[in-house]
Parts: sequence; structure tokens; C-alpha cells
Amino acid sequence: MNVEITIAKKNISILHIEGKILGNASDAFRKEMSEQLQTGRDKLVVDLMNVPLIDSSALGAIVITLKSCQQSGGKLVLLNPQKAVREVLEVTKLSTVIEIYDREEDACNAFF
Amino acid sequence: MTETILIVDDDLDILELLKMNLEPEGYNVRTANNGESAVQSACANPPDLILLDVMMPQKSGFEVIEELKNIEHTKNVPIILVTARGQTEDKVLGLDTGADDYITKPFDLREVTARVEAVLGRTRPIKYINPLMRAMGDKFSEEGLQQLAGHLQAAAAIQNKLLPEQAPSLEEFDIETLLQSSTSVSGDFYDFIPLNETQIGLVLGDVKGNGIPAALLMVMIRTALRLLCHEEDTPASILKRVNDLVVRDTEADLFATMVYGILDIANSTFTYSNGGHCYPFHWKHTGEMGVLKTEGMLIGAFEEATFSSDICELSPGDILVFYTDGITETETRKSEVTAGNTSQKEEEDSSENGLPITESHYGTDRLATCIAKNVGLSASALCDAIVNDLTLFSGSTNPHDDRALIIIKRDI
Repeated sequence: MNVEITIAKKNISILHIEGKILGNASDAFRKEMSEQLQTGRDKLVVDLMNVPLIDSSALGAIVITLKSCQQSGGKLVLLNPQKAVREVLEVTKLSTVIEIYDREEDACNAFF
Repeated sequence: MTETILIVDDDLDILELLKMNLEPEGYNVRTANNGESAVQSACANPPDLILLDVMMPQKSGFEVIEELKNIEHTKNVPIILVTARGQTEDKVLGLDTGADDYITKPFDLREVTARVEAVLGRTRPIKYINPLMRAMGDKFSEEGLQQLAGHLQAAAAIQNKLLPEQAPSLEEFDIETLLQSSTSVSGDFYDFIPLNETQIGLVLGDVKGNGIPAALLMVMIRTALRLLCHEEDTPASILKRVNDLVVRDTEADLFATMVYGILDIANSTFTYSNGGHCYPFHWKHTGEMGVLKTEGMLIGAFEEATFSSDICELSPGDILVFYTDGITETETRKSEVTAGNTSQKEEEDSSENGLPITESHYGTDRLATCIAKNVGLSASALCDAIVNDLTLFSGSTNPHDDRALIIIKRDI
């Protein structure tokens, strides 16, 4: 798994993830997100376009980061999850508590 | 969550020896070489256990205990005294020291490890029981509490050896179960709970998270279900109660997914609710493959989670298959995919090797196909057929993730 982070306007962090988020990668994924929070960035867009699969620890990472963001008044949104990932989000009903967008522009507008 | 042990001894060699012995067991070890710094260290950040030498200059082990027992947040920290044979041993035996156990010097390192584990095993559940009691409130009967304490004790002591209940043997229904653990502590679980003469509660779930907290969460959920299923009427209200219980007392990244349902033998119905778990299959005798789909969020992460119940009828020949994602996320054999590649053991992203992503994992479609092909078999033979197909697909009999299955077939 690779992570590339870009900072969009209004201090929104966009995390472009590439590869499966399984096992140890989930820890790295969680760390990347928490580093954003630690530097005061609590507006996160997680770009899942190039993520074929995630496991339950990755879900856990999303849940805990989402909660941290909300606590500090920010938000975490997901961008463009692919079929397998989308299914996991649907089945666990995380899709009802996390905003999911198909376009980066919409994802960024979600914060205002 | 790693447990921390504070070792206190004025002999630096012994400190080092114990540290070297306990760290490989997975404990986080802190040391102090006198009584004063032991008290400071314990107060600053209470450890899970203290190994405390009795004979130390200035402040003895006895004095350290006395101080710690008078401080609110250290008074419950378990303590094992380390005494010199013949000298302090007699004294320790004759005194109510407040310690949980003692070891005599010179000691056998294996004995130290065993005693540490035994004391932690006894005291570990207490940390979890208190918040649980609060959460359950007055709904918790004395009997239920004892039952819970017993379950948690058992879980902490033997962690993963908590065997699932036997599948009940019923007239008209053929039931088979499977539980394969990939690690020492399994996250998948199932249980059968007799409710009355004609109804059986059934749960299959998956605790996400690792180690002891996850193992304890599993036991907590199983126990809560066993208590609540007699109080609440609908599977949805039971899952809601379990969710509320778990959400208050666990970290946000510790949660579970599960299906809970009531099999009614007299009416041949299954009433169920789903907490974020993969939808069970319902193969109907008409040849149609359906899923048991209700809305419900994963358990234990969100206070606002809601659940719904639904009911299905089971005609003769109908089959229900409950499974965990360890089945559908089984990965394909690497050797086929990366033929000629020498780094087969590397965890590679399968999208890079040209294989379509959908085929790198077993998936629900293949599971459905496998079930549909083998509907004529008994529950047990169908279970074997699924396991064989998984082995064929993955090229390995060792699962990477936990796998659990429950198959229920109504006799024709």
C-alpha cells in the first residue's frame, strides 16, 4: 500500500491510497491518518479509487479516525471506493455514517 | 493491548534477568531498583502487575505494598512478592501482606512466568467487569453477573480455548458448524442458545480487533446475548442492547459484526437481525438463492446504530448458510498467479499481476455457486464441500483469517 498526501484548499488533506489495505498496511493507513490529525488537519478525504480491498482493521482505522475528526469538529469522507470496498461499507452500514463521494471536487465541498 | 509489569529489585542482575525472561512473553516491562522509585513509577502510570522484592534497603517491599494499597489508582494493582527462602519466606507466610502471590529466591524462571500469567489471569477480568456492570445497570441479575464473571475468568485464563457450543441436534433440522482459527486468539464465534422447547437462538459473528481485548469482547458479547435473549423479544432489540453495551466500554476500533436469529422449530421460521455482517444465504427448495438481508450497523462502534428484524420461512429442503468474511476473503493461490516469479512469498497486490481483482478472492458469488451445486448433500457434507472448494481456490489448508460457518438444512 502506498499513500500520497496532497493538501487542498482550506487545509483539506487528501490521502490517495494505492493498493490493498490488509494486515500491516492497516496500521500504516491508520498512522497516516492520525498524523494528519496530529498536525491539526481534521478534514480528511480518503481516496479509495485504487484500493481493491480492505480488511476489518482498515475499517477499524476508518471508524476511529472518523470519530477523532468529529470530536475536533472536522470530518472524514471517502472518495470513490471500488466495488469490493463499497460492498464492505454497505454491509457494515458504515455507508450510513460516512459520506461517500465519487468526485474529488464534491468530496472537498463536503466540508463547507 | 500489551500488559505492563513493573519489576522492583535492588539487585540489577535480577532486574535484567526477569526483564529478559518476561519481555519475550509479550509483556511490556518497567523496572525500579528501590522502593521509593517503585511507588513513584506505579503512581505515575499504574502497571498491570508488580513483581516486588521484599528485602530492599531503605524501603522494603512490605512498605511499598502498604503505600500502594492506600492510593486509589494503585490499590488494585496485583502484586507478586519475591522473597528470600528461609529468611523472608516465613515472614511472608505468616503475614497478611496484601500481595496476591509470592515467589522465593532463587527462583525458576519458568515458575515466574507461570505465576505472573496466573495472577494476571485472575485479575484481568476485573478490569472489564466493572464497566460492564455499569452498562448493564439494574437489568443485571446476581446470577447473570456471576455467570458473566465466570465467562470472563474462563476467557482470560484460557483466552482462545473457549469452545463453541455444540450444534444442537434437532428433529427436522440438520445443523453443521465449522470454526477454523488462523491465530491463537480467534475473532470468529458462534453460539446456540436454547430459548424454550421450540426455539433456539443462534449467533454467528466476527470480532474485529486483536488479542485479549478482542477475545474478551467476544466473550462479553456471547454472555450478553445469553442473558439478553431471554429478556428482549426481537433479534433487533437484542442487537441494539448488545451494541449499546459494547459501545460505551470499548475503543472505537474494537467492534464486531454478527447475525443473531431465532430458529423456531414448531413453525419452521427463522427471525433474524444483522449487525453489519455478511448476509447469510438462503437456498430455497425451489432452486432460488436468496440472502437474509436486514439493515443494521456493525456492533459496538456507534451509539446511534439501529437494527431491524425480518423473518423467513424454511420449507423442507431449504438451506441457510451463515459465514464470516474469512471465507469470502480467502485469497487465491499465489503460485498460479505469479508463476515464474521468485518472490512468491511477498505480499503482492494482485491487481499488479494482471489477474482481475474480483478473482483474487473467493467471494460471495463463488460461495453461492458452491452451495447451489451441493444442495443435495447433508449439512455436514455441504460444509466439507465448501472447505474443499476453499482449499482448491487458495491452494492451502491453512486459513489466513478465521473462518466460521453454520449450515442449517431442513429435512425433506
